[in-house]
Order: sequence, then structure tokens, then C-alpha cells
Amino acid sequence: MSSIVQNPRGGCVLSGISATLGAMKGFCPVFHAGPGCTMQTSAATTAANELGGVMVPCSNMLEKEVVFGGIEKLRTTVAGALEVMDAEIFVILNGCTSGVIGDDVESVANEFREKGEKVYAIDTPGFQGNTELGYEVTWNNLITQVIEKRERNEKLVNLFGLIPGLDKFYRGNLEELSRILRRLGLEVNNFFVDGQGVENVLSSSGAALNIIVHPWLFEGPAKKYEEKFGVPYIRVAGLPIGDTDTTAFVRQVAEALNLDKKLVDEVIADEQDYLYRYLEHGTGILGWKRLAVVGDSNSVIGMTRYLSNDYSLIPKLAIVTEPLFRDSDKERITERLSSLTYCDAPDIHFISDQFDIDGVIRSGKYDDVTLFLGSSNDREAASYLDTMFYEVTFPITSRFIFNKTVAGYRGALSLIEDLFSNL
Amino acid sequence: MAIKYNGVRESKPNRVNDGYGSGKDLAEKFKGGCLKRADRSFSQGLQCQEINGMQAVVSIEDSVLIAHAPQGCTGCVSMMADGYKVGQIHRHVDHVKNPRIFVTNLDQKSVVFGGEQRLRDTVKKAVERYNPKLVFIFTSCASGIIGDDIDAISESLRSEYPDQVIVPIHCEGFKSKVCASGFDATFQAINKYILKGEKADRQENLVNLFAPTTISYRDQQEMERMLGLLGLEVNYVPFYSSYEKIKRIPQAAASTAICKVFADEFMIELEQDYGIPFSHTVMPIGLRNTDKWFMGIAKLVGKEEEAQKIIDAEHKRIEPLVEQIREKLKGKRIFICGGTGRSFAAAALVSDFGMELVGLQTPTYDADAQIDIEYLNERQKDYVVDIANMEPFEQANMLRKLKPDCFLGVPTSAHKLGIPTTHVLDGKRPTLGYDGLIYLGNKMIDQLSNPGFNRNLAAHTKLPYKDSWYEQDAFKFITAN
Repeated sequence: MSSIVQNPRGGCVLSGISATLGAMKGFCPVFHAGPGCTMQTSAATTAANELGGVMVPCSNMLEKEVVFGGIEKLRTTVAGALEVMDAEIFVILNGCTSGVIGDDVESVANEFREKGEKVYAIDTPGFQGNTELGYEVTWNNLITQVIEKRERNEKLVNLFGLIPGLDKFYRGNLEELSRILRRLGLEVNNFFVDGQGVENVLSSSGAALNIIVHPWLFEGPAKKYEEKFGVPYIRVAGLPIGDTDTTAFVRQVAEALNLDKKLVDEVIADEQDYLYRYLEHGTGILGWKRLAVVGDSNSVIGMTRYLSNDYSLIPKLAIVTEPLFRDSDKERITERLSSLTYCDAPDIHFISDQFDIDGVIRSGKYDDVTLFLGSSNDREAASYLDTMFYEVTFPITSRFIFNKTVAGYRGALSLIEDLFSNL
Repeated sequence: MAIKYNGVRESKPNRVNDGYGSGKDLAEKFKGGCLKRADRSFSQGLQCQEINGMQAVVSIEDSVLIAHAPQGCTGCVSMMADGYKVGQIHRHVDHVKNPRIFVTNLDQKSVVFGGEQRLRDTVKKAVERYNPKLVFIFTSCASGIIGDDIDAISESLRSEYPDQVIVPIHCEGFKSKVCASGFDATFQAINKYILKGEKADRQENLVNLFAPTTISYRDQQEMERMLGLLGLEVNYVPFYSSYEKIKRIPQAAASTAICKVFADEFMIELEQDYGIPFSHTVMPIGLRNTDKWFMGIAKLVGKEEEAQKIIDAEHKRIEPLVEQIREKLKGKRIFICGGTGRSFAAAALVSDFGMELVGLQTPTYDADAQIDIEYLNERQKDYVVDIANMEPFEQANMLRKLKPDCFLGVPTSAHKLGIPTTHVLDGKRPTLGYDGLIYLGNKMIDQLSNPGFNRNLAAHTKLPYKDSWYEQDAFKFITAN
């Protein structure tokens, strides 16, 4: 299913799995792979996890293991990891090398589990897909192998859809979305911030609702949660940024959980008041721009909608860059980018290849764009337009991001701050 | 042109990539031929040679890079794009370019049925888009194991695309534990497919200066300035170079390199195939190393006298400054971690400052390392050597026990243990040459005098290891092979 691509945004399925596991407290990925895979996968997502890159245990398979099999090397690597690494759950991941020669990683995991160690295996070698798939594969495997049914907690929700590293703002965004949900009286499993990890994964089966903040990701795992644990899900199709979409997000959650209307109205009114007391001083500080956004669908939807609906910029171009395999996903994304409060839809493209993306940007059709939001890959093409350019989608190499949020009510403010600073 | 060396660094005799011992033990064992190859039964992730192979050519003009691999194998080269872009900004490029990196994106189907057609399609696309002079094709673990014959495919592509030089590079990760093998694989391919053994008219004042991506533009300018003082013109390759500059390599009167592990094997080949002498590389930082580096190249071109004059003048300028730094750093206990070249260069430097070396990590131990170790053994009391390509868990264990005053190298563990940290190189700022010593000394003084950040981090963060690990032998997983 994969296609030839120039300057790919993201890595292989292994990068998605290790970014997801590495960002959760108590998990330790153990690579059964050639030397280099731990670095390549971490660099691909730049997740900056505690357990990324050269910190991750790896069997570093060499020619000998390729020819004679690497199971023994994997055994000693897992045994060493159990002795050295401070983690609760160890997950063996398969690189291309072990995947092609067919090492039976699951049997090694079983051996250790029989001895009472929490060792599991995800047998999905790197060549089977990309980072986005890796995020889904991780959850599919956690659901089938690790998570057991728990008693329903009517106040608990799980937040899915933001991929560590591939969403460079995932920490700040999860903090802000969790903050808003907690104001509604909810407990939130966001898995990657607030010191969350193993216990949150285990308790996720007792949640009252799965909230997927993404226009297409996580369909498979969400259905599994529903079938196995009876957790229903809602899809928030695009990162909610600013008043219009964040308020809609709050109402969508409130409706699904049948929350107290008075409380919900109060929270919304209070957040709006906070937001507009600042925004009122931000009239026209960016000038009145024509907008292009290039990047992953979640960000493109979120930023295009916010800056159009709430900040009166005129959207001209939206390029969604991750590969999409279902027409229904493209339609959902198109619908979200087209249903703007006042504006006409921007031109919408689905392109993953950098040369083709550059071709659209420099086609002459968008020379009137005056604010360009994209990744560091898009800076080159945008430099030929008379526009201001800012890096907000993966990969971002010119900024360092800790807990900056671009989501929710607060993120709406920090995004405008950043854009002004870059004028 | 016969290739005598297969490009895999561990294939060289007397080169060891796993092991440990004190400086004195290792030197003695190596001398007696008793330093044997070992292995690790537990290890953390290494860097693969494909990363280094791609890194070597990522910034060459009019080139495209094709990874015949699943998408993941371009992870690191995407990050190198950042270094390449910073380099362009320093060189005042108007429209800062992305490197032209393609991935054939091998998937489940190609693993079963082969990836030849994908590779052909990718080359076609790359040529149609950029009409490049150079097409570099890199293998991966996946393409290597499924057995795609990139040499044969490249050969047939050559007749299809006569305007392109197609350079297949064999750099499957599983072939080597030493990522620097990727440099050799790439240079061997450059020799075979671009230079092709064709001798060129010698230009007497031209020298090849081989430099890796981690060298900043300021450092390039400084090296060029110094060699300029000897009347030499520098062919700076392969970073920010071009097809034309690579083609000029055989015209040079001599070769030298900035980094020990980068081009030494290539320079041996250049001597064998084109009769170009080279100076044995030391990383030119500080007095001793910069003297050696500068005099090395001066000797090759018969300019010793001129060089000595410059060296004397530089010493006169630098030595009083070193003395000032020495006052502040004398007796401080230091741990060093870096690539083979950097580790030893740094160890020599800190000796000049009167610092006490307590530990050193080096990815490789070989005859070259032996020269450095013997030099250090004369100047230092005994110290621990860990022959490791990183292995941060061993480093953390050693640091907890050795409790050095400061740490030099990649600081991902040391900072959380509260140790003041600095790095010997800075790819974005000047670090090399005579002044490099002063930059480094001052950076260490700064960190020693103001260690608050790391001290606070240590109080509030934790490395991902069990507490019990620190009580065990740091080298317990090193096994005889």
C-alpha cells in the first residue's frame, strides 16, 4: 500500500509504536532489530521521550543473527532490560531484520511471562506501515494483550488521537484539553502527560467514553474498546482550537455523557470570557491575512478553522500530507475544511510527496497568500512566495517546544502570540 | 583499482568495539596482542552505518539520495536536514533547500516479491524532477536481506540515464556495529563510480580537506584560512560540495581530514589509486593536535618552515590564555564520552589544562587509539576506558561511581546526575583550531562555576534505570565472544 515518497514526514510503524510506548510512564520498548532502528525511529518522530533513541534496549542484530536467527540475542537483551531498566511492562518490537527472517518474538515474550515477568511482543516489523499506523497498532495490542476489563467509572474519559512527536505540541495540547474536561467534573486518561502511564492504560477499559481528537485515526482500536469493554466513542474531527471549535468539542462531550447543562454552560461562558478578555486586544495584530496551511489533517483542520472562523483570516489553501487510504476519511476532512462559518472553503489537496506539495505552493495560484503555516519541509517552497511563514506542523526543526499548546481556549491565544512574534 | 577493504570496520584486524579496562591495562593488552574481541549480552540501541552513509553526502549540490528501504530508514536523515539548513543559512543561501531525499518505501509486498521495480520507478521520478548530476542509492536491512541487487539495477539504469552518475552504496545496518563503516561504504562507492580510478593532472597547491557534517561553517573558514597561509587552495569535500568538487579530488597534491574516523580509509584508497599522499588525521583542536594536523599537511607539501612560523606565533598568542584556564581547571576530575576521534582529542586537551581524567568512552579501540592511550598514560593517573558505542546505561553507572567534577560529551545522562556538562564540538558554532582550546576551556569553567541547572535536574529527575543497577558492575554484560 505504501508509495514512493520524497522527504517523508514521519517514519515506519516501529517509530509510531516506540514513540507511543516511550511516552508512557512504566513502559519500556525492547527492540529486536538491527543497529540504528532505535535512533531512526526516534529521529523520525523527534518525540524527545525519556525512553527514545540510544536509551532503548536493542538486540542490535548483526550478520550472524540474520543468518542464524537472533532469538538467543533477544533473550539476553530482554533479561538485561529486566535487570537494568526501571519499568513495569516490557514490549518487544520487531525491526525489518527480525521481521524478514521470521524470528518468533512472541514465543520469547511468552517464556518471560511464564516466569512471571510482564513481557509482551508486538510483532509488526517496520516495513508494515508508517508512524500513524504504529500508534493504532500499539493500542490494538494493548487492548488484546495487556488491558483487562474494569468496573465502569462514569466520570472517566480516555483521550486519543494525538501522536507523540508527530504532533509536536502533543503535551501542551493534551494538558489543555484535559484541563477543560476536568472543569466539567471528568477524570481524564491522556496517557502521555501529568505523569500518566501504565495505570491509566489499565484503567482505560472502565472509562465512560473514548474521545478521539483526530479526523480519521483510531477507528480500529475504538471499535475494539467498544466490543471488548463496552466503551463507546466520539470523534472530534480535527484539533479544536479557539472558541467555535472548542465550545463545540465541549458540547459534543457533554452530550455523549449527558453532563449537567448548567455546569457545562457555566464552564463555557467562563472560558469564553477568559479568551475574549485577551483577544479583544489582538484585533488586527496579524494584519488581515490570506492563509495557507500544510501538514497533518488534525492540525490543518484545527488551524484553518480557527483562523478563519474566529480570527477572520481568509483560507486559500489547505494541503493534508499524511497518506490516507479510505475515501470516507478524505470526505470527512473535506467536509470539516469546507463547513466554515462565513468563508468559502480553501482549495483542498491530499498530497504526501514534497515535490508535489512544492508544486502546488509554487503553482502561481497562491501568490496572494500572506500567512503560510507549514512544516520545516515547506519553508523552501514558501520562500518563493511573498508571505510570512511559520512552522507549526511536523517536522518542526526551527522551534523547540516543551508544553506550548495550540489547542483549546488557551492554545488559541498562544498561537496568535507566536504568529505575531514571527511577523 | 582493486578494493582491498570491504568497508566494514570490524573486518580490520586488531580493532575492538566492545570491552573495558584501565588505560594502562588496555595499552598493555593491546601491545601484547591480548585485547580480544568481545560482545555485550545486553545493549542499548546503536547508530547504523546507513545513517552515516547518508549523512556523508546529504549536502552535495545537484544530488538526490534514494533510500531503498521502508520509510523509517530516513528518520535520521530527516533530522540531518536541519544541520544542512543551518549550514545553508550560515553560507547565506537565499532559498534554503531541503535535501532531496527519496524513499522507495518497501512494504510487505516488496519484502516478498522484491523491490527492484520500486527502485527503478524512484530513480525515474528523481531524474525527471531534478535532473541531478548524482543519484546516490542506499541499501537497508530490508533490501539487503531480500536480496535486491542494486549494483545490477544501477548498471542497467546507467544506460537509461546517461546524464546521471548513479552511485549504489552498500550500507545495510546489520553488516556493522560501527556506524562509521557507512562513511567507508559511501567513499568507496564515490571512488568506484565517480572517480573511477581516472588519474588527473596534479594541481600542486590543492589539498583535499575531508570534513563531516558536524563541522560548522566558521570552522571550515578557519581551516581554510590556516591552509591558505601555506599558499594552499582547499577542496572542501564532501560537505556543501558538488559533483565538480568531488571530481577534483584526484587533482590534489595531498589530502587531510578534520575528523579521525571520517575519511581515513578513503585517504588510504586515494593514495593507493591516485598516488595522493595524506597526513594522518588528528582532530585539530588545541595546541598539540592543531600543531600535528597543520604540520602534517605542511610536510606533505614541503612547507614545514612556513608552518613552524605560524605555529610559533599561535603558541605565543594562545599559551598565556591556556595558562589562565589551567589556573581554574587544574586538578578537576573529568569524564569524557564521544566518537573515537573526539574522545581522544578531548582527553589530550584536558591534559593540557592539568585536569585529571577519570573515565573515557570510545566506540573503537585500535592501533590509532593505542597511540593516544599511550600519550594519555604518560600524563594521567589510571583511568577507566569503556569501549562502547554509547551504551548510556554503562555510562550512568560509571558516573555514579566515579563522581567526576565535570563531563565532556553528549550530556543525555550526566546532566541528570547533576554533573556540569559541556560538549567538545558545536556544529553550529566555532570549536576547532588553536582557539578551540580556549572556547572549550572557557565553556568548562563556565559550567563548573554555574552548575545550577544540572544540580537542580538531579534533584528532580531520574534516569530510566533501576536503583539496583548502580550497585552492580558497569561491565557485567560485556562477554567474551
